[in-house]
Amino acid sequence: MPLFGKSQKSPAEVVKALKEAVSALERGDKKAEKAQEDVSKNLLLMKNMLYGTSDAEPQTDIMVAQLAQELYNSNLLLLLIQNLNRIDFEGKKDVAQVFNNILRRQIGTRSPTVEYICTKPEILFTLMRGYEQQEIALNCGTMLRECARYEALAKIMLYSDDFFNFFRYVEVSTFDIASDAFSTFKELLTRHKLLCAEFLELNYDKVFSHYQRLLNSENYVTRRQSLKLLGELLLDRHNFTVMTRYISNPDNLKLMMNMLKEKSRNIQFEAFHVFKVFVANPNKPKPILEILLRNQDKLVEFLTRFHTDRSEDEQFNDEKAYLIKQIKELKPLPDH
Amino acid sequence: MSSTSHSQSPPPPNSQNEEECIYEPDTNSYLIMSMLGQCCGDVGKVYLAFHVPSKTPIALKQFNVDKIKDEMENIQNEIILTRQLRHPNVVMVSASFVLQSYVTVISPLMAFGSCRDLLNRHFTEGLPELAISYILKDILQALDYIHRKGYVHRAVRASHILVNANGEAVLSGLRYACRLVKNGRWQRSVHSFPTTSARNLNWLSPELLEQNLQGYNEKSDMYSLGVTACELANGVAPFQDHPPTLMLTEKVRGYAPVLLDCTTCPQFADTGQQNSNQTQAQADSGVGDSVGSNGNSLEGNSLTTRRFTDHFHRFAELCLQRDPENRPSASQLLGHSFFKLPRRMNAPPLPQLLHPVIPLTKEVLGLQNYEEFQVMDRFGEMDLNSCEWDF
Repeated sequence: MPLFGKSQKSPAEVVKALKEAVSALERGDKKAEKAQEDVSKNLLLMKNMLYGTSDAEPQTDIMVAQLAQELYNSNLLLLLIQNLNRIDFEGKKDVAQVFNNILRRQIGTRSPTVEYICTKPEILFTLMRGYEQQEIALNCGTMLRECARYEALAKIMLYSDDFFNFFRYVEVSTFDIASDAFSTFKELLTRHKLLCAEFLELNYDKVFSHYQRLLNSENYVTRRQSLKLLGELLLDRHNFTVMTRYISNPDNLKLMMNMLKEKSRNIQFEAFHVFKVFVANPNKPKPILEILLRNQDKLVEFLTRFHTDRSEDEQFNDEKAYLIKQIKELKPLPDH
Repeated sequence: MSSTSHSQSPPPPNSQNEEECIYEPDTNSYLIMSMLGQCCGDVGKVYLAFHVPSKTPIALKQFNVDKIKDEMENIQNEIILTRQLRHPNVVMVSASFVLQSYVTVISPLMAFGSCRDLLNRHFTEGLPELAISYILKDILQALDYIHRKGYVHRAVRASHILVNANGEAVLSGLRYACRLVKNGRWQRSVHSFPTTSARNLNWLSPELLEQNLQGYNEKSDMYSLGVTACELANGVAPFQDHPPTLMLTEKVRGYAPVLLDCTTCPQFADTGQQNSNQTQAQADSGVGDSVGSNGNSLEGNSLTTRRFTDHFHRFAELCLQRDPENRPSASQLLGHSFFKLPRRMNAPPLPQLLHPVIPLTKEVLGLQNYEEFQVMDRFGEMDLNSCEWDF
């Protein structure tokens, strides 16, 4: 028993009190104000158990294990996330901090919270739909990116219907939410290489028809970020099959050639890194070859003048020289 | 904590909503009137602008992100972090959106500008002590909040302290902040060196600059606050004329800057008698040269005749302790006697202490007839490339 201060609540008591308070908040009866207060208070207690404070160390592993077990048994994580919009501003952040800490819990090589969430995928779907609501979007984002670190959870998210909503979230007009959604989106598509490659192959048509919209977005930042990510995806050797498919489609080549001469220098530059893959392809399909041949002289001249001030960027200049040489040497396919 | 929401969504029905307003991502809603300043080199520009639907003056900050490559992430992080902090003394982002290649951020107008502006334009030898007491108290409240949320600010300096029309000081510059909470743990110290902070070096703590294994924590901000206290009092930032290596050496050896007044800089009086104070031996203002050269030969120079209270001197010394362990935390310092001065001396509110500086308020701007204002800068159109592909 502590000598000073209030005697401490046990993990079970905190979880129980918090669950009651969140339920009261959900019901929205006349005691809502009191409920809000109780939610904040118990969230803070829980956060301090896990993180400690400036003058107290975090709780022992046994206490944390008890707390985690109570959280799983009570289904409180889902309840908290479902009611996140009802919790006050600072409380929302405390939920995210508690969630992220519990998620990282390990026993040997096992991650019990990850295993738990696999059995409750509703937690992930609710978090993803959090981007629909301004007040909780950023809080959900921090939790989602933490989840995306685990392959099992990333897989559930990628293969859910909700995943395709990201194409909308990354383009919302509020810049901070769009940026946050984009970093989650990128994490999901790049973090676990084999998982991502398989997902992209299986869903090629759906993903890239959606992706096309991002590349044509009115929003400069969306266009630039999605173009950059496209380059990264295509140049990752895990995505070889996807890349081959992408660079066989003449519409994709046309888009990149148009982006090469966008007014924004950064977009031109990112487009270059996708365009180069079309040219470097040793087995260009006929339609691709025809477009390049039809614009052979123009392309050589264009590329010669393209970003000549990047003299210090050796790799870029080597690649540019290589492309010019390739395009100069292009020959029509012999007629059969 | 009030529950007012400054997002674009409608305010909750029970909120106080004095300045509640929806800022839409639409060019036509904003009239840019004049430039207030720059940030991040020439990438960011801050304008005094007018939000037409609500008829309020606002601060509109634009980052031309087409001019930058990798730093875009810093700008995103700053905006996202700012949106997740809510405190009356921490800068607020009311809305952020993209217009052409400009990331645009709408914030409440800070009618007195930054403390650096105040020092540059009027208080060249420093702000009045009572004004500093008000300002630093607000900034300590901001730091206390930020530290409790698990961040180190890493860029406390006069140019990041803004003052609004009511005389409340607000801390900005959050793009340099770093998290103490990492990997689901509250770190006792961090080691990351802020990469983009060349301009902030003079304000940074010795332990941060040393980059050794001990790392640093939120106490580093208290040192920066001490440097800022000297900056506000002296008008000139300490170490301003020092080459970075000398600045670093002095800080590491424990030479701290001081508030310049008759107790700390008797050599300017050049009379060489009484005040040869014991602190003088090791006190280094860091601005000796510059002040000496333009404070023309000193009789009547306010630096040598004025006298700050012992409370203020003690406060600065506490912040500037070499060992971070010895520096009080933000919440401890809030109880310092320096902050009781305004009440004890029955001081007028901050706006009066800043007289004759006039804040940029609606009335001053004459915004009643805003239609007369010329649009100085619309979001400019750029020319298109003329080359045509043949598909």
